[in-house]
Amino acid sequence: MIAALYAGAQSTAPGAAPAAAQPAAPAAAQSAAPGAAQPAAPAPDAQAAGNAEAGRHKSSMCVGCHNIPGYKTAFPVVYSVPKLDGQHAVYIVSALRAYKSGERRHPSMRAVAASLSDQDMADLAAFYASGPTQAASR
Amino acid sequence: MKKLSTVAVVLALSCVGAAQAGNPEAGKEKSRPCAACHGADGNSAAPNFPRIAGQHYDYLVKALRDYKSGARKNAIMAPQVANLNPRDFDDLAAYFSEQQGLAQRKVSYIVPSGKH
Repeated sequence: MIAALYAGAQSTAPGAAPAAAQPAAPAAAQSAAPGAAQPAAPAPDAQAAGNAEAGRHKSSMCVGCHNIPGYKTAFPVVYSVPKLDGQHAVYIVSALRAYKSGERRHPSMRAVAASLSDQDMADLAAFYASGPTQAASR
Repeated sequence: MKKLSTVAVVLALSCVGAAQAGNPEAGKEKSRPCAACHGADGNSAAPNFPRIAGQHYDYLVKALRDYKSGARKNAIMAPQVANLNPRDFDDLAAYFSEQQGLAQRKVSYIVPSGKH
């Protein structure tokens, strides 16, 4: 049933030119990160391997906000719900964990994240990381 | 009535324009410190730094404001935004939101008037 929601969805990997330099797999990239010439960042904790297909089936509570064009968060602070397709899996998991712990505050996201297991988070992150990238639109 | 609604639409559109007042060219100039983590065009190489290319303009502005106000806490971003002003936020958001990057895959949903 849920899969039918995605009749028109693409499942191709990001094909944008900048993606050529991107680490292909979050797990590999994670192990490479400490050696990268980047400012130090909190190392992501070990995380479960995500399954994009499993994530697709868990995404019904995400797509209703994150995948509806023009959708905005509710009053009183009104702004566009961030795009997630093409986002890094490691970042998505860290954001979900921060919402779950309360470190990052948003009422809806706290409620959603509180209902997710580590495996759920990894699967959803894999699902969104596998999403298409595209030409931007404001 | 028709004239009124036209005025309303024009007003609404001009408000949208005002809400996206950032200058992407100025934003590109100001974005150099961002590139180290987020990539020159907002497509970060390291997966713990979010991709911001193509992200919604108003979401980027809000994130930057929240880092500045402390509503959103991050040890890296807090010092980055400390010396930036709202104009800088608008410009940076204009630049990064216009780059090719993040997307919204299409999903089907139903509205009372039919299926979209």
